[in-house]
Amino acid sequence: MLIGLGIGLALADSSVVTLALPDILREFDVEIPQVAWVLTSYNLVLALSAVPAAYAARRRPVIAFVLGTLVFAGASLACGLAPSFGALVGARCVQALGGAVLVCAALDLLTEVVGSDGSAVRTWALAGVIGAALGPAVGGILTETLGWESIFLVQAPLALVTLLACWRLRVRPLVEPAGRPNLGANLALLLVSGALTAALFLLVLLLVDGWRIPAAAAGIVVTVMPAAAIATSAVASRFGGLVTRSACGCILIAGGLTALGVLPGSAWWWTIAPQILVGVGLGLTLSALTERALHGRSPQAVHGGWTIAARHAGVVVGLLLLTPVFTTALDRNEDRALRAGAAAVLDSSIPPLDKLGVAQDVLALVRAADREVPDVRRAFDDRPDDAEYRTLEEQLVSELDRAVTAAFSRPFLLAALLALAALVPIFLARREPSL
Amino acid sequence: MKAVTPLLACIAVSVGLAGAYVAFGGLSYEPTAVADPCAPRPQRETTGTGERIEVVLLAAADETACELGVSREDLVLALRSVDELDDLAEREGRSRDDLEDALRAGLVRAVDEAEKDDLIGSSTAGALTFAAERLPLGLLLSVLRGASSFLD
Repeated sequence: MLIGLGIGLALADSSVVTLALPDILREFDVEIPQVAWVLTSYNLVLALSAVPAAYAARRRPVIAFVLGTLVFAGASLACGLAPSFGALVGARCVQALGGAVLVCAALDLLTEVVGSDGSAVRTWALAGVIGAALGPAVGGILTETLGWESIFLVQAPLALVTLLACWRLRVRPLVEPAGRPNLGANLALLLVSGALTAALFLLVLLLVDGWRIPAAAAGIVVTVMPAAAIATSAVASRFGGLVTRSACGCILIAGGLTALGVLPGSAWWWTIAPQILVGVGLGLTLSALTERALHGRSPQAVHGGWTIAARHAGVVVGLLLLTPVFTTALDRNEDRALRAGAAAVLDSSIPPLDKLGVAQDVLALVRAADREVPDVRRAFDDRPDDAEYRTLEEQLVSELDRAVTAAFSRPFLLAALLALAALVPIFLARREPSL
Repeated sequence: MKAVTPLLACIAVSVGLAGAYVAFGGLSYEPTAVADPCAPRPQRETTGTGERIEVVLLAAADETACELGVSREDLVLALRSVDELDDLAEREGRSRDDLEDALRAGLVRAVDEAEKDDLIGSSTAGALTFAAERLPLGLLLSVLRGASSFLD
């Protein structure tokens, strides 16, 4: 349980700050492509260090787990107290390094605790799925109630508690040479993780920045996905073998992402059904692919390291691929919405000689937002509270909401393609003898 | 259970949801259409000086935008400052002088037509024509932005 908590914490960190990004963006006065590095840096370092960390951890798993946890806890504190954006990103890199060591060492510890490789892998994979899926929701609620720093400050003591699991635990070091990694399963993990980045990162941006839903409320909305993932994990084996579960999961993730790419309206309830599909897909595919990558392979920690590297490389690919697609679409749609908004102002029935003033106040807000989604309601703060102004305000907000929702369409559809692409390595490697 | 059954079920659910969303209007985003500034607009009833001035200014914006080949909305948004007007000129491959000439000419034509249609009186028309022809561009834009305080 405690070891699972450590794994969950480290893997939740790849997405836990998603809902805090708008607050971090404002606090450090950075733009969307820059703020994405709070996520990207963690995932990049985790991807690069997971396999070397696994090799190091297998010689002395208990010591590696303790050291990894201490580094993770210390870096979490540093993140929460970071005085600048650069310091935050630097601390995130160190945090990822600690996380890589603790997650890989945890697999050997679990084998000792639960008694078999198979059970250890299932527990390890499930802890990872729960951590990654719950991350955004927990992060959003903490951000709204205690501030974004609390996400990191809460993690430090929780991580230290997991050290109790090492009390009197002895694990036999494994020094046998590691076989080659399961290329198909790891490649599929990479692609599907890239797709899931869209589900977590872009959905949160859409809710909070696009539709201006408070972070705590958005956190509650996105709990649908982890709830579906956790519920599915409990019954996943009924869906068939590892190949079938992996493929079913990818199809459902692609379906959910496609639905997010064609949302008919700008309201949170439209995201519920797609989230259920993505959550069920997540519950089916991540654990199945992880089990598949580790099936019959030894030492477990090294192959576990490969799965961590693949998953987080996928997150990085997703972030690097989808962020520019999204910001470009947002810029283009914002220009079109601005022109349509100006037409709405000029043709409205507000006092005629205030029209130019309103149009230009809205334009000033758009320019000041600087690649964020502007809050056009502020243009009406100092204007009369009568029907003509309210009608125009609603018209402008609706125009902008539609433009923003449409701007998210292309990245969600691109992410759906990534999920479908994961089917290729899954089916190509389906004849592996270990399955 | 054959392996293909859950696969087909997942495909059906995924296609069904995406299809339903498209049927509800999912792929239909188009911003509200912006009218052609060269096409005549429907006549509006005007009740006061403010609304009459608005009609004249919007007609001037239409005349100028039509001549420059831009939308009335792009032109109005560019009237925020001389710099914005320069940006518009650059985007359209024109010089600042082209834009300034078109703006002054459009305003004078719209004022003439409004006076002929008895929409505004001769003194208001004279003041607007004077502003259009004589005021430096920066001051003219200030007058257009703050027209209410002068003329209402």
